[in-house]
Amino acid sequence: MLADMIESIAKILFIFSVNIGFFAPVLGWVERKQSAVMQDRIGANRAAIFGFTVIGLFHSIADAIKVLTKEDFVPTGANKFFHTLAPLISLVPAIVTFSVIPFGGQYTIFGHDTNLVIANLDVGILFIFAFSSLATYGAVLGGWSSNNNWSLIGGLRASAQMLSYEVAMGLTIIGVLMVYGSLKLTEIGMMQVNLFRWGIFMQPLGFILFLTCAIAENKRAPFDTPEAESEIVAGYFTEYSGMKFVMFWMGEFLEIVTISGIMTTLFFGAWHLPFISDQMLLSFFQFAGPNGAGILSMLVNIATFFAKVSFFIWLQMTIRWTLPRFRYDQVMKLCWKMVLPLSLINIFITGLVFLR
Amino acid sequence: MNKMTDIDQKKCHPMVGVPVEKLRPKQVRKNLELTLWEKLYIFEIIRGMYITTSHFVLNMIGFVFTPKGQKRRIFTVYYPEEKVTLPPAYRGRPVLVTWQNGKEKCVACGLCEIICPANAIKIVAEERESSDRYPLSYTLDMSRCVYCGYCEEVCPKEAIVMSAEYQGLAERDRSNMIYSKEQLLRSEESVKDRIEYIRRIYSKCNY
Repeated sequence: MLADMIESIAKILFIFSVNIGFFAPVLGWVERKQSAVMQDRIGANRAAIFGFTVIGLFHSIADAIKVLTKEDFVPTGANKFFHTLAPLISLVPAIVTFSVIPFGGQYTIFGHDTNLVIANLDVGILFIFAFSSLATYGAVLGGWSSNNNWSLIGGLRASAQMLSYEVAMGLTIIGVLMVYGSLKLTEIGMMQVNLFRWGIFMQPLGFILFLTCAIAENKRAPFDTPEAESEIVAGYFTEYSGMKFVMFWMGEFLEIVTISGIMTTLFFGAWHLPFISDQMLLSFFQFAGPNGAGILSMLVNIATFFAKVSFFIWLQMTIRWTLPRFRYDQVMKLCWKMVLPLSLINIFITGLVFLR
Repeated sequence: MNKMTDIDQKKCHPMVGVPVEKLRPKQVRKNLELTLWEKLYIFEIIRGMYITTSHFVLNMIGFVFTPKGQKRRIFTVYYPEEKVTLPPAYRGRPVLVTWQNGKEKCVACGLCEIICPANAIKIVAEERESSDRYPLSYTLDMSRCVYCGYCEEVCPKEAIVMSAEYQGLAERDRSNMIYSKEQLLRSEESVKDRIEYIRRIYSKCNY
């Protein structure tokens, strides 16, 4: 009982510190630096502590200090309660959804069975969809409660876009669920030991459609019409400053991490290295004793998982800095006329293959 | 720390613009209908991502193993530490050119005062015993100057030229921006490039 509690607290602390403490500030740096490298620039590198710049990483600290000392501004005529609530609603789902994503397999360490997922829910994927649809409320409430025309337009666009793409995103996943026959993310991860059983080989079309829908759901370029800077100032978070602005910003970045985690789990073999099963890994680390082998293979699996997540973060950043923004009607057309029929066709073909 | 950077690592050519025979109308695709290949999006997106990723990878390699003596791919200049060599066509702060003995070339003819579109120049003329004219005071109001270069173009003696100075032009007090003759005097050596340039461009012969 005590061991279970310690285990789950350790897992929660690990995921929380990795997400909030590492990914959120570092992704702010990655976004600036990667865009600079891609566009033949140098990027932020002036913030220095004792003359050390560490390729611009101190800009994250400088940003944090700036944000904490900024005025917390609420415009006149704004609904103060919802104005404060909206950034929380958009940040919390981004943190919570990571709780059902397995970042490692099952290990026996010191006679205690450890399953590296915070909540091993039977309806893991539905839980993720339920919470990611809550994030819509953050954008819509923020846009409506700011008492600003640009914010309202941004909120309306966000509501329409996110609701549309949620439908398509749900349908793109169904193919994967048909292949693996489970909603439990740990089981889906378990089944992808063999490289050729990975989701990307079973559902290549599903992967592309899911990536499209996920980026649209996250409101990032090329689907960033809700916050289109050149059209509607900053969309639904025009009137936000200081810590509240950072909550929207962090929610967006953590959602990138979550999307990468889901893609890794569903399509890219979760925590497995290609061609190496868990038993092979355990026997490889046999020299460290049974407990040491468990710990070492756990570390290898966690490193594999986060390496894959980092790759997909890089991929999403590349897409964000490559493609220009779609027009609003093009976004809607892409969803209802292309992604939705294609995902239905994908389900149909998957059904034909598996019912054969 | 104060190193100079040549962007192209070659001297800027004084000829301005592209020769007419080299100008060609750009090929524009009038047909706005996308082909089927483009309508599929995904391949065009992959093509675009190939371009950006190749830039990313090449630049990352360039950051880690900085090539020596090669043309730089990244044109960013770390401004206060690095400075670019300016082309001779650059119009900076107008300065008064002196002879070798330190006397100004200006003969206080007043042409620059008349041509100046911003009324930035005020001259008080005076005569020496040898009946040479010289400006007793030459006041240049840099808060009015628009850097058009008319004064340089109109000057018959090459006495006022646009130098390459671009630092220290901003002040917190407007009264500090009114420069007297003594503050504007520069040796002929320091503005040699510009004088050569204006001789070529404005077809001035050497007096």
